[in-house]
Amino acid sequence: MKTFLLVFCGIIFLVCSLKALARAQSPAGSSTTAQAVPSKPTDAQKGERRFEENCARCHHAPESISPREVKAVVRHMRVRANLTAEDERLILKYLAP
Amino acid sequence: MNRVLLLVVGLVFVACSACAQSDPSSSDPPNVPILSGALGFLGSSRGGANAFEPILNPVLVAPFGDHWLVESRAELLGFIARSNGTTGPYSGQFFASLDYLQLDYIANPHLTITAGRFLTPFNIYNERFPVWIAIFQDVPIIYPIGTRTSGSSNGGMVRGVAVAREKWIWTYVAYFSAASTTENLQAGRAAGGRTGVFLPQAGVEVGASYQRFLQSGDYNATGAYLAWQPRQIPLDVRAEYAHSPAGQGYWLEGAYRLASSRNESGWLSRLQAAGRVQQFFAGTPAPGTFLPTVDVNQYDFGLNYYLPHEVRLNGSYGRQFSSAGNANIWNFGITYRFLFPAWPGGH
Repeated sequence: MKTFLLVFCGIIFLVCSLKALARAQSPAGSSTTAQAVPSKPTDAQKGERRFEENCARCHHAPESISPREVKAVVRHMRVRANLTAEDERLILKYLAP
Repeated sequence: MNRVLLLVVGLVFVACSACAQSDPSSSDPPNVPILSGALGFLGSSRGGANAFEPILNPVLVAPFGDHWLVESRAELLGFIARSNGTTGPYSGQFFASLDYLQLDYIANPHLTITAGRFLTPFNIYNERFPVWIAIFQDVPIIYPIGTRTSGSSNGGMVRGVAVAREKWIWTYVAYFSAASTTENLQAGRAAGGRTGVFLPQAGVEVGASYQRFLQSGDYNATGAYLAWQPRQIPLDVRAEYAHSPAGQGYWLEGAYRLASSRNESGWLSRLQAAGRVQQFFAGTPAPGTFLPTVDVNQYDFGLNYYLPHEVRLNGSYGRQFSSAGNANIWNFGITYRFLFPAWPGGH
């Protein structure tokens, strides 16, 4: 019985130690592996940032812009403001997701 | 002007026909031409001489295919002022001009080729700040340097992004313009270019311009510019310097929207306070430069209010000091930016 209790306590101690070690290695405050990995920004989020960096240098965002208008607007600004091809693609994703 | 109108109509028709043939199954937004621009009413008082200017700036943009773009902007301007400056009855004149009508071919990510009539790319003010975007209603004193004769050029231009990295982007423009004295299509014979470096994370852009004016006694114009828009706060700082044999000078302006961030949209955050300082040092006077012939200092303070539905109210007071006489300069205006599709169909 003593041997059984010793083995049982040893297993509990081992499991608890491994759990504590795993918790120490994971980011603080996270409880699951999925939450520990930060989500990558979407193209629309990247496009919003490109819009703020480039377009907002001269003017604020239009209050509304329809998907039908957006391609002409962004290509116009690509030429006028020397946007990169990647800027054009991402800003299109932002304005017409 | 009739030939220009015919050309515009022809180009737009070709572009719109091409738009209509775009693949409807594509997930990309459709190639629909747009009509944009601004409608405004501007007023000013310069040394007691009042002027009123109703203005319409239609902008037509028509993309077609994956590489082509036709874009055009005209200016229809009324100018109402007293016949003798500060006295006499008011009388009006009407002006129409074509700012640009250009065909752009985006050859690759680093090169766009432009042909036609385009805004002269000297420094940044002329290309980027029409009256409905500019913080101050009146153009800077040094504006005529590098944009002579009309602010537009007739010829060819290459431009693009030479190098794009995550932390910096290097851009360039080079152009040649032929002389034209045709009514509403004036341009000087000139060649030049501009190059700049933009640091997106810092919101800083610096660059330099050069122009060789190839008529009226060839001469060089040089310039430099700076723009800074920190991402955290709605502050805009811009400056330009320009030099020519007829004079040199600079302007520096700062504008702050009363908000804690650029995305805030409360009633107070729609208010923008702005200040501008300008100095001009006269050089060798020459006809047709539109530059002062004496040294000038000018200080402006302005308030702009961005109403809903793309309407902007603007007002400013400036004091100009020169040996030709000091003057108070008042400006006020209202502008409305519009944007709508110029062709039926699409998605």
